[in-house]
Amino acid sequence: MPHITPGQAYGFFTDTSVCIGCKACEVACKQWNQLEGNEPSFLDGFDNTGRLDAENWRHVQFHDDVPDQTTTDGNGTAWLLMSDVCKHCRQASCMEVCPTNAIIRTEFDSVFIQPDVCNGCRNCIAACPYDVIGVNHTTGIAQKCTLCYDRLQSDMTPACAKACPTESITFGPVEELRTMAAKRLETLHAQGVTQAGLYGHDEKVYGGLNAFFLLMDRPEKYGLPDERNAVLPSRNNAGGYLTAAVTAVLGVLGGLIALGRRKEKVSEVESDG
Amino acid sequence: MTNHWRDIRHADLILVNGANPAEAHPVGFRWLMRAKLDRGAKIIHADPRFTRTSAVADTYVRIRTGTDVAYFGGLINYVLQNNLHHDEYVRWATNAGFVVKEGYAFDDGMFSGFDQEQGVYNTKLWAYETDDDGHARIDLDHPRSVLNLMRAHYRRYDPDTVARITGVPRDQFLQVARQVGEMGRPDKVMTIVYAVGLTHHTTGVQLIRSAALLQLLLGNMGRPGGGMNAERGHANIQGNTDHAISWDILPGYLRIPAPGQRDIAAYLDESASVKQHPRAVNFFGENYRRYLVSLLKAWYGDAATKDNEFAFHHLPKPAANASWISIFDQALRGRMQGVILSGMTATSIGPDSNQVLQALSNLKWLCVMDPFATTSSEFWQAPGMDPATIQTEVFMLPATHWIEKDGSFTNSGRWAQWKDQVLPPEGEARHDHWILAELFLRVRDLYETQGGKFPDPVRQLDLPYRNPRKPELDEIAQEINGRDLRTGRRLSTFVDLNDDGTTSAGDWIYTGHYPEEGNLTKRRDGVQDPAANDPTGMGHYPNWAWSWPANRRVLYNRASADENGRPWDPERPGIAWQDGAWVGDVPDYPVDTGPGPDAPLPFIMTGEGVGRLFSNAVADGPFPEHYEPVESPVVNLLHPEVSTTPVAFRYDERAGRPNRFGTVADYPYVATSYRLTEHEHYVTQNVEHLVQLQPEAFVEVPAALAREKGIRTGDRVRVSSRRGKLEVRAVVTSRLGPLDIDGQRVYQIGIPIHWGFVGINTGQHWLANALTPFVGDASARTPEYKSFLVNLEKI
Amino acid sequence: MDDVVQHFAGPPDWLWYILAYFFLAGLSGGSYVLATLLRFRDGPGDEAMARIGYYIAFPPMLAAPILLALDLGRPWLFWHMLVNTTPGRPGLNFAYWSPMSVGSWALVVFGAITTVSFAAALVRDGKLRLPLVTRVDGRAFNVVGSVFGLFIAGYTGVLLSVSNQPVWSDTWALGGLFLASGLAGSAALMLLLTRYRPEARQSAGMLSVSERLYTLLELVLILVFAATLFAAGTQGQVFGVPWLALWLVVLAGLVPGLYGLATRGVTVDGAAALRHSPAVPLLVLAGVLALRAAVIFSVQV
Ligand SMILES: Nc1nc2c(c(=O)[nH]1)N[C@H]1C(S)=C(S)[C@@H](COP(=O)(O)OP(=O)(O)OC[C@H]3O[C@@H](n4cnc5c(=O)[nH]c(N)nc54)[C@H](O)[C@@H]3O)O[C@H]1N2
Ligand SMILES: Nc1nc2c(c(=O)[nH]1)N[C@H]1C(S)=C(S)[C@@H](COP(=O)(O)OP(=O)(O)OC[C@H]3O[C@@H](n4cnc5c(=O)[nH]c(N)nc54)[C@H](O)[C@@H]3O)O[C@H]1N2
Ligand code: SF4
Ligand code: SF4
Ligand code: SF4
Ligand code: SF4
Ligand code: SF4
Ligand SMILES: [Mo]
Repeated sequence: MPHITPGQAYGFFTDTSVCIGCKACEVACKQWNQLEGNEPSFLDGFDNTGRLDAENWRHVQFHDDVPDQTTTDGNGTAWLLMSDVCKHCRQASCMEVCPTNAIIRTEFDSVFIQPDVCNGCRNCIAACPYDVIGVNHTTGIAQKCTLCYDRLQSDMTPACAKACPTESITFGPVEELRTMAAKRLETLHAQGVTQAGLYGHDEKVYGGLNAFFLLMDRPEKYGLPDERNAVLPSRNNAGGYLTAAVTAVLGVLGGLIALGRRKEKVSEVESDG
Repeated sequence: MTNHWRDIRHADLILVNGANPAEAHPVGFRWLMRAKLDRGAKIIHADPRFTRTSAVADTYVRIRTGTDVAYFGGLINYVLQNNLHHDEYVRWATNAGFVVKEGYAFDDGMFSGFDQEQGVYNTKLWAYETDDDGHARIDLDHPRSVLNLMRAHYRRYDPDTVARITGVPRDQFLQVARQVGEMGRPDKVMTIVYAVGLTHHTTGVQLIRSAALLQLLLGNMGRPGGGMNAERGHANIQGNTDHAISWDILPGYLRIPAPGQRDIAAYLDESASVKQHPRAVNFFGENYRRYLVSLLKAWYGDAATKDNEFAFHHLPKPAANASWISIFDQALRGRMQGVILSGMTATSIGPDSNQVLQALSNLKWLCVMDPFATTSSEFWQAPGMDPATIQTEVFMLPATHWIEKDGSFTNSGRWAQWKDQVLPPEGEARHDHWILAELFLRVRDLYETQGGKFPDPVRQLDLPYRNPRKPELDEIAQEINGRDLRTGRRLSTFVDLNDDGTTSAGDWIYTGHYPEEGNLTKRRDGVQDPAANDPTGMGHYPNWAWSWPANRRVLYNRASADENGRPWDPERPGIAWQDGAWVGDVPDYPVDTGPGPDAPLPFIMTGEGVGRLFSNAVADGPFPEHYEPVESPVVNLLHPEVSTTPVAFRYDERAGRPNRFGTVADYPYVATSYRLTEHEHYVTQNVEHLVQLQPEAFVEVPAALAREKGIRTGDRVRVSSRRGKLEVRAVVTSRLGPLDIDGQRVYQIGIPIHWGFVGINTGQHWLANALTPFVGDASARTPEYKSFLVNLEKI
Repeated sequence: MDDVVQHFAGPPDWLWYILAYFFLAGLSGGSYVLATLLRFRDGPGDEAMARIGYYIAFPPMLAAPILLALDLGRPWLFWHMLVNTTPGRPGLNFAYWSPMSVGSWALVVFGAITTVSFAAALVRDGKLRLPLVTRVDGRAFNVVGSVFGLFIAGYTGVLLSVSNQPVWSDTWALGGLFLASGLAGSAALMLLLTRYRPEARQSAGMLSVSERLYTLLELVLILVFAATLFAAGTQGQVFGVPWLALWLVVLAGLVPGLYGLATRGVTVDGAAALRHSPAVPLLVLAGVLALRAAVIFSVQV
């Protein structure tokens, strides 16, 4: 691959149709980023990680829809395997709400949480529509995939992509990845794998995800809001403040009404007294 | 592998049977995916379970464990019935036309020549009709020609019978058959990928052979994108096998000498193949003596002379079989004083771990060479054991882990690749070869000072190392490569090995990997410059490491071109005869011999000069036949009287121990045991990140059965066989489902093998092998880990 | 179900500290506003009652920063809310589109304002000698303060809505709702405290009328809130068990106000307001707390 050059947008094309759920990406990420991982616990036998959080910046999802038949088509359609990660949204909900400016967009157009700036308010967690961010319990700060910022700076492919044996995770300049993805989709459709679809490859979802996916089922299935539901937190500013303002006005009015009714009653109080 | 990992991407169709490469060989699996992505190859995965391989395969076929002979037999039958085999290839490159001697017969599940009280076949009876100079008679249309016998043998495997045995419905089987049938065309090629899902059966060898037969019929042996490709185990298990880790061979697949063989001649008589066709090269047979003598020179140096038959008499001539189970069987019989385990943990790997624990308790001493404490070094405190009653003295010798030493790994594709030491040895850990050298020298001292029975093999062993106590792997590699003893120079090809004691070679197939120029397994001319490093464009990368034999990347590649040396498929050439020379891969053929009707036959290693559809080199039958696993829910549909293979080795029975096999009445479900991506057997129980990914022992339960028993994922269940039990969590899934076996509903239960009472999460102490049967394949004695009977209860 | 809004965001774990802060912010902002209204009216007892309000408004603003800091993963970096420490990008943080950012500044300002008004109240009550503050604490000052008071009492709801959390982000009514309940609660609290300041009693009637009106306002907004959630299909999460229990407390807290409205309309009856036991205003306050608890916890646990 040509050198990784600042100023260009980099990301992942994750093709779930060739993911074998080996979790090499999960482990490679932990190794490189020195994440300890959580206490071992049995969840469903194949996915024992559960979700993305401060200790898991890659998480391989397993959705077992295998029908009870003696022969079944594979192609990633029956047992859905998908390596989830921060989407490095072009319009990032997390970034939008962060009060400290800890979340920045890097020279590689990735979304990066500066560990020494973050103060652990967790507003970004409330905002991220993909449940990507978690708080590190020792340092107290928000953490997620950095797109291997340190590796990119020294011209190295992110650890997860490097480790992926089937090239289900492809790292590269987003533009190239999009063309590649379109081709791949064509081939699959040509092969009759009609369920296949792209997610986040265009502006329809948060202005485009730098880490986008080829999915074998509806986005919701993988915990990804569909185009209609991919919305930014700031959408609620106007409505929220407006209602508050109206209430404020009514509140003051209410106060004035109360104040309005004066003298006549005062005497009553006195006579009562 | 006859081919190699990267070569798989040339296939049009990939049959995966008895393997789960996505989980067990994830990195090698990339080449199956490349075939799929780059050339639209189709992958058909036949497995009792829908696995992570099935998830990305084109078609998953649910098959009953232990029935692949029926599956491949059915395909063979389909191909023959519809004349879809590669006729030209079959006539030229196989023994299809060889006429089998009168007396060979197969009735009701028995081949001719069975010796009742020995319980073995006299394989010599399965021979060809020969003329005076020992050449086989050839007549394709003869009623007893191999091809006609084969037609008759497999006619019984019609689609309905296949369905009734394997559980694969007729029409679904035919869909597979139609795709496979296509692959007999010269412009098509299919590869068969397998691993221990085929070997771990009492019929293991025949399961694999049945697939090989199909490949020969379709003309796919020797071709890029074709072949029979065994995905091997540990990173260097191929190297282990080449250097005779297994009991029945000497290094380089020379037969282990047998009792009564007083000299080399007698040994060769029974070991080396004889030329059975005028145009057969019979390369192995012809050179057998050279390789043996060179091996003896490597081992005994000057003590090996012409006059003493090169110390042939030093070699053991074991009367008893020394396979894995046999060793522990001997211990159970109290005939074993001590055992040294190195890089292997007997307690966990089974079979029948309760019986193995008993065997270890019978020992005087047990020595474990390992970087970690294992279930063997700790066997005396296994759950349910009473340490007070165990007298076995256990020695733990901390060995360096392979990551702490250099040396070579030979991968499944026969590539020997040198690796560097990654970490310095920890604490007191010592290299295995240093421990063994030390041990040997001390034993030798004892012989020197105190004498003993037959001391010469020990006293005369040659250790030509700078420091015999601490040999370097580099020195050992040179020794394996071999030398011309007259000049002292290292040889660059086994063609130069002699049988007069003037050459040495520790393993002839590795001769040439370390010539005078240096250690070729260190070469790394790879994808950084494909144009320069892959001249053929076929992905051989001849200057990447070194593959045996002779850096040949695809075995039998002479068969990738027709009789006249033209590749069957010019798009995917193996070798080709162009203006007086072979081009492409390193030819599996006399280099300067051209093709043609009078030229030597393509399979130069065999006495026949061709591939064997019919063979007497195996203990359990010249044609693969379907036999039920020793523990099976059904009787053999083809021959109920002979349901299981008559030559499977039933240790308990032979030793007069009580029967430990269960029946379907008490144990109604079929079980199979296997790996998960997240763990490497038992050793990764020491690795935090991997224990997090797979923290707890579980079994996979078919959804339909779980419904009957009210079991939900996460519930605890008891899985028990006649030999032992597990109490673990259930994972309920339709990836395993019921099979309709001849009208009978059969459930299969999946049992991952990875847990034990040693490691981070010792709460998960259950040994999968508590369940497995103590019985082995007739030829290889491989245990039947892959099919046995169990019961399942919710706790 | 196509009309259901999809939510996959995970909870930020804003729990007890935040609940306490939301509660106090409502009362602080609310009482400052009421206090100012009273001071403007300036009838008999009003100034006294106003001072109660200014007294109430102050302590929560002391507690607020501490509670918020304690809730942070790194409490000592609370000041990062205001100052950008990104290397090479020094300056102040202010993002008008991020309620948390705006709120941080509002807190600073309102904190200062309540401190001044508190001190001024003390001076006016002759408990402190610091004539300067009374000069600062003029009417204009109080008006500005009230504006911030309204903001502080209400923005917490907006902050929740500006997210992708189920329920919170499905409605635009939270800001108003929190403000209304904050006002109602403040009125109740001030009434309660008149017990310790007899000269304020004359304003009690007015205050209870306003409380009735705020209760009505709150009720209306609860209905709006519910309506928006039904539209999004997430009503089940807030109104299901066990949260229903909290909502019962919320409704109980509305009863006095609504009862008053039903029986007396907006006619003043200070005596009545004073007659009934302290339990009543406490019930109202409990309702204010329960409302916030229901909204915060039902989404996160
Ligand atoms: N992650 C991981 N990788 C490994 C290892 C490991 O421990 N962990 N071990 C290494 C070693 S030593 C080895 S030998 C290899 C083994 O590699 P594999 O043979 O691929 O491993 P298994 O999981 O034992 O068995 C493969 C499959 O065979 C299926 N099977 C069982 N019985 C039958 C049958 O009768 N017919 C058919 N068609 N399929 C059957 C099982 O369901 C299983 O899915 O893996 C190597 N790679
Ligand atoms: N039921 C059931 N049983 C099975 C199987 C199955 O499929 N089902 N599979 C079988 C197969 S194919 C295999 S290969 C076995 C695997 O069984 P094992 O080979 O026993 O499994 P590992 O955990 O790989 O054990 C390797 C050991 O070697 C040690 N080791 C690593 N490097 C070195 C070294 O350089 N020197 C020394 N001395 N030790 C080293 C490790 O610490 C570890 O303890 O299990 C077999 N058992
Ligand atoms: S996925 Fe979440 S964390 Fe990642 S950039 Fe988008 S909003 Fe931020
Ligand atoms: S937790 Fe850190 S990154 Fe997230 S919003 Fe707060 S300050 Fe920003
Ligand atoms: S890019 Fe780096 S940080 Fe992000 S998931 Fe991959 S390995 Fe982890
Ligand atoms: S490494 Fe690649 S194939 Fe393996 S789980 Fe991750 S994405 Fe899937
Ligand atoms: S563990 Fe090693 S040998 Fe096994 S697949 Fe991974 S890289 Fe290959
Ligand atoms: Mo193995």
